[in-house]
Amino acid sequence: MAAEINAGDTAWILMSAALVMLMTPGLALFYGGLVRRKNVLSTIMHSFFILGLVSVTWVLWGYSLAFGPDTGLGIIGGLDWVGLAGVTGDPSGTYATTVPHLAFMAFQMMFAIITPALITGAFAERKRFKAFVLFAVAWSTFVYAPIAHWVWSPDGWLFGLGVLDFAGGTVVHLSSGVAALVAALFIGRRAGLVEPATEPHDVPMTVLGAGLLWFGWFGFNAGSALGANGVAATAFVTTNTAAGMAAITWVTISWIHRGSPSVLGAAVGAVAGLVAITPAAGYVTPAAAILIGLGVGVVCYGAAQLRLRSRVDDALDVFAVHGVGGAFGALATGIFATTAVNAAGLDGLLAGNAGQLATQAFGVLAVAAYSAVVTGLILTIVNLVVPIRVPGAEEETGLDLAQHGEAAYQV
Amino acid sequence: MEIAALASFAVLFCAWLLAPDRPRTASAAEFISHEAEPVVA
Repeated sequence: MAAEINAGDTAWILMSAALVMLMTPGLALFYGGLVRRKNVLSTIMHSFFILGLVSVTWVLWGYSLAFGPDTGLGIIGGLDWVGLAGVTGDPSGTYATTVPHLAFMAFQMMFAIITPALITGAFAERKRFKAFVLFAVAWSTFVYAPIAHWVWSPDGWLFGLGVLDFAGGTVVHLSSGVAALVAALFIGRRAGLVEPATEPHDVPMTVLGAGLLWFGWFGFNAGSALGANGVAATAFVTTNTAAGMAAITWVTISWIHRGSPSVLGAAVGAVAGLVAITPAAGYVTPAAAILIGLGVGVVCYGAAQLRLRSRVDDALDVFAVHGVGGAFGALATGIFATTAVNAAGLDGLLAGNAGQLATQAFGVLAVAAYSAVVTGLILTIVNLVVPIRVPGAEEETGLDLAQHGEAAYQV
Repeated sequence: MEIAALASFAVLFCAWLLAPDRPRTASAAEFISHEAEPVVA
C-alpha cells in the first residue's frame, strides 16, 4: 500500500528545493566577486549555465542513475527512471515516503546542480566555455550520480557500510573539492597573477553571495530531514550555529595573522562552517556544531594559507574550503553523531562507537579517490575534443569579452 | 516521449560541439567598449 502524503512534509521539501536552487545564483555571485573584473561574467555564467544544464540532464538520466533501482553492485542506479518515467506525484516507497516522488526528485536535483558549479571556482579565469560545458555534463553523469548512489541509495555500497552523510559532505563537497584540485592541477596556473593572490574585484558581491548561500543552506541541510520535524529543526540550528562559529573563528585568525579582521574572511569562513556541518547537521547537537565550526575555521584557514604558498592555482580555494571542509565534516560526524539527536542515525566516537569514525574515514577516502581519478579521466578526454584552456591572448583580454562577447561593466 | 526528450537534448549537445569558437582579443575588446558607449550615455 502506498504511503500517505503529508502536507507539511511536502511543503517543506518543495520550499527547501527552492532554497537550495537559490544557492547556485548565490554561488555565482560569491565566485563572481572573487575574480578580476574582466572575468566576472564568465565566472557567473559557469554557475548559471549549470543551473539550466543539470536541470535537464537530471530529468533525462541523472536522477535515474543516482536514485533509480540498483543495477546489482551498489555502484549505480539503472535506467528505469530515464526521463522521469514512473516518477510521479505519489510517494516513491523508498525515498521520503511522505512526500510526492517528484518533490524528492526536485530536491535532489538542486544538489546535483550546485555540485559541479562548486568546481568552477578552481578553473576560473582560464577555461574555454565549450570545454566547460562538456566537462559539466560528463562530471555530473560519471562522478556525481554514482557517488550519490553509493551514499544515499539504500542499495549503495557506502550506505551499506554505514557511512553517515546527512546532506552531502562527501557527495557534494568532498567530491567537488577534490575534483577542483585535480582540475586546477590539470589546467595550470593563471597567467599574470599578482602574488600572493589576485585581489577580488568586488567583495560586496562575494558577501552577498555568501549571504544567499547561508540562507539557501537551511533548505540544503534542514530539508535533508525529508520532513517537517524535529530532525529538520535540529539541522536548521546546527547549520546556523556552525556557520556563525566558523565565520568568527576565521575572522579572529585572520585578525591575528594579518593584522585586520577580514570581511572576505567572514564570508569564506561562514561557507567553510556550512560545508563542515553539512554531513553532520541532523546527527549532532548544537554544542557539537560550535566545536565543528571552530575546528573547520582553523583547518580551512590553514589549508587556504598552504594553497597560497603552493604552486597550485585553485583560483577560488574550492579544495581548501569544500574538499578539506567536507572531509573534516565527514570525520567530525564520526566523532559527534549521537542517536539521542536522531534515532535513525548512528552513534559516533563520543557516544561510544569508535568504529563510526573509521567508517567515515573510509567513506572519505573512497569518495576522494573516485572523484580524483574519474575527474582526471574526464578532463583528459574533454581536452582531446576541445582544448580546455583558452589561448594566452584571450586570457589577457579576459573571458567576458573573449568567450562571451560581453562586458560586466561599462565604466 | 522520453526518447523525444533525449533527442532534443542530443541536438543541443551537438550544437555546442559544432558552435563557432571565435576568440576576441584586446582589439575586439576596445571595439565592443566603444560600441557600447552611446547606450551608456
